[in-house]
Amino acid sequence: MLPFSTYEAEADIFSDRFQPRSHASTRRRRSNIIKTLAAAAAVLLVLYFFFPSLITGAIPVLSFGLLAGSEDFQLETVRYYDLNNVQGTARGWEREERILLCAPLRDAAPHLPMFFGHLRNLTYPHNLIDLAFLVGDSKDTTLELLNDLLVDLQKNEDSKQQFGEISILNKDFGQKVNQDVESRHGFAAQAGRRKSMAQARNWLLSAALRPTHSWVYWRDVDVETAPFTILEDLMRHNKDVIVPNVWRPLPDWLGGEQPYDLNSWQESETALALAETLDEDAVIVEGYAEYATWRPHLAYLRDPYGDPDMEMEIDGVGGVSILAKAKVFRSGVHFPAFSFEKHAETEGFGKMAKRMKFSVVGLPHYTIWHLYEPSVDDRRHMEEMENERKAKEAEEKAKKERLEKIHDQFENPSGQWDKDKTNIQDMANKDVKEVSSEDSEKKVEKQPEQPSEKKPEEQAEKKPAKKVEEEPEKKAEKKADDHTEKPQEKLSEKESTDEAYVHVLVLLYVKTNIGHRKTDKTKEGKAKIIDPLDEIPVVGKKPAAPES
Amino acid sequence: MPARGLGRRSSPITLVLLVVLLIGFFLFFFSSPNDAANKLRDSTHTASNALSPPSLPFRKAKANERPPPPPVVHYHMNNVTTSRTPIENQETVLILTPLARFYQEYWDNLLSLSYPHELISLGFILPKTKEGNAATAALQAQIAKTQSGSQKKRFASITILRQDTESPLITQTETERHKIENQKARRSAMAKARNSLLFTTMGPTTSWVLWLDSDIIETPESLIQDLAAHDKPIIAPNCFQRYYDDEKKEKAVRAYDFNNWVDSPTAREMGARMGNDDILLEGYASMPTYRSLMAMMRDESQDPNIEVQLDGVGGATLLVKAEVHRDGAMFPPFAFYHLIETEGFAKMASRLGWKAWGLPNYLVYHYNE
Repeated sequence: MLPFSTYEAEADIFSDRFQPRSHASTRRRRSNIIKTLAAAAAVLLVLYFFFPSLITGAIPVLSFGLLAGSEDFQLETVRYYDLNNVQGTARGWEREERILLCAPLRDAAPHLPMFFGHLRNLTYPHNLIDLAFLVGDSKDTTLELLNDLLVDLQKNEDSKQQFGEISILNKDFGQKVNQDVESRHGFAAQAGRRKSMAQARNWLLSAALRPTHSWVYWRDVDVETAPFTILEDLMRHNKDVIVPNVWRPLPDWLGGEQPYDLNSWQESETALALAETLDEDAVIVEGYAEYATWRPHLAYLRDPYGDPDMEMEIDGVGGVSILAKAKVFRSGVHFPAFSFEKHAETEGFGKMAKRMKFSVVGLPHYTIWHLYEPSVDDRRHMEEMENERKAKEAEEKAKKERLEKIHDQFENPSGQWDKDKTNIQDMANKDVKEVSSEDSEKKVEKQPEQPSEKKPEEQAEKKPAKKVEEEPEKKAEKKADDHTEKPQEKLSEKESTDEAYVHVLVLLYVKTNIGHRKTDKTKEGKAKIIDPLDEIPVVGKKPAAPES
Repeated sequence: MPARGLGRRSSPITLVLLVVLLIGFFLFFFSSPNDAANKLRDSTHTASNALSPPSLPFRKAKANERPPPPPVVHYHMNNVTTSRTPIENQETVLILTPLARFYQEYWDNLLSLSYPHELISLGFILPKTKEGNAATAALQAQIAKTQSGSQKKRFASITILRQDTESPLITQTETERHKIENQKARRSAMAKARNSLLFTTMGPTTSWVLWLDSDIIETPESLIQDLAAHDKPIIAPNCFQRYYDDEKKEKAVRAYDFNNWVDSPTAREMGARMGNDDILLEGYASMPTYRSLMAMMRDESQDPNIEVQLDGVGGATLLVKAEVHRDGAMFPPFAFYHLIETEGFAKMASRLGWKAWGLPNYLVYHYNE
């Protein structure tokens, strides 16, 4: 009985808990919950209507931060940097030093794919390289293409191939200067152009330089060939500012190669003296005949077999490829967009770095190659060469045609000649001794006459077409040239006797013509003997007589 | 009956709901609602990656996942404006302070600025000295407080830089600091510190740069708006100091910063006779330049909006359009036309075609040691 009674007692105590609750209490509780929920919903609804923006702020709180919807709680607003850690050392890749790669762009779309090829090939850890581009006043698709290429670059699965921060800065300065080769490199346009280039560089740098950067690398997009290890190669020297030598390949007719970047130089006494004489705003631009500075240029000191590690102290630097410690830019050195010690842009940059006691060196025997873009002069020259080639072809063709025409129109005298010969021989058979000697004399006379008389004919053909508009001095020159050229042609043409005969005929025709005209002009009533080397019939003005 | 009571208390849903509702209410009514602040913290004013301009806050990466590759970010700098109405145009201001000593008054004054704080970024540079460490600690404590406090007072982003100064002067007392022979080295180091701060914190979205020295402890609340309203490339208010006049037995003000001046022929002549690396200094009896000092131009009875064109400026308080700095105007740490630091800055800006202006009757106050 005892256990049972105990059970009874226990059951009595806990009976309330284990039995279904009374309907009244359940209902009360339920209605309470519903009421509070309804009230909450109503309040939230009202608040939502009055302050719609607050709903986002409320979510994380209501969900105890599990949804993490608000940015406020995820935002980092304070950053701390010790600039002593980003001074730049010789072995930056081991110390994970970040490099800012800057490239100012304008109408550069054609060069971008090549540039991105270079980027992919860089051996410096890509995640340590931040890229910054300034696109300004571009009329082509530079911006779109750049964006596509960059997005592509970052899609790389390998996280080691992905670059760091990538910024594209879009800023138009409204420059009037054209970007084609002539207006870019004409002397008069240089000062203004250099200043606006400097401005673009400064905007790019000041917007992209971060407290995390140890190095800044400036690189033009139109570099064609450069070592993949260029960043490490330049960094190893542990200089504040360092540039390689920049050359460019040339077509064979221009000599195969040429120094390109003449802005890397050492200061000279002459240039300093020259600078003294110039106006405050004047800018000395290296590489132009207008200012003879006699400075030793990095470019001209190149020896293809020299030690690539050899260093040379310089004062002005070229902008094609500059590696500088970020501390140089942090301390205020920039690309003067005004005349700083009579220089602007990269040359002024070198000067200013020197002024602040930073080391500025160039590597004369470590060369990178700039793309060859034919200059306007080169283009003109190439066009001239092309035209000359075409003219020559046309001339040859015309000559051939004319020969054929002559062949067709005039009957070939050689048949008659042979006939006559046989006749004469027949006659000779009758008068053997006398006639045969006479015949041989005639032939000998005729042959030597040919070369000298051929000239007027050829020149008469050439001159009217080509030389009408040329200046008299040039004509004189050309004439002299012709004199030297002609004999060779003559020799080759002499080979065919057939042609020679035709020539004789034509020459006789031309000669009579010239003679006729000459007499008309002189109006002296008598015919003049024409020296074919001197008097050349020319349409238009008569050339000034050569000194001889 | 205890069991019954226990049962009633433990109905968890009601409790949870109550708590949630209460928190909800508190959130709605006590977190200062600020529409603009929320709008600003969208994608154009925050960065998605830690690698981003220091003038923008960024979203923290989640600890346990590999961060995605940094995105390609476009900055349309043609749209960065500097106008008379900076608030309406949502123009961002970067306040830069080279800090050697931390004054609580400086921070309080900064917090009281009425320019929307979500448009303000701060940048500090401190020397790596014992004094600098103390200042950094004090600064960081205040920053932590502000940035976790009310939304309205929070700044968009804050950058603290530390750097060894090249010529650390052992004593920084006022008299020692102003000794003429120490000036060149001191101001050259100061110029480098300013440049380091400027060029690493100025982002592509910054419109204005306000240079505010750490010992400026009192400015009008609307300082930024007032200066910007003049729409000048470089503009400086007059820097004065409050003191207790022992003779008159009352509080008074006196001129403090003599680096705001209009050039004189005498000074130019002196410059022409100087060596390339020598500098002209203002406010020293041994070097009478006869320049017109803005500090002396103050006339209490006149309009505070009167403008004067200046040839040299001081750095105590200086509002500069970001494009002036972007064009390359920096603080020369060397003798630039015989001028150095902020005075050289005004000269360099003028070489780039930007003119400096001053407001002789608009005052800010320097700390009195």
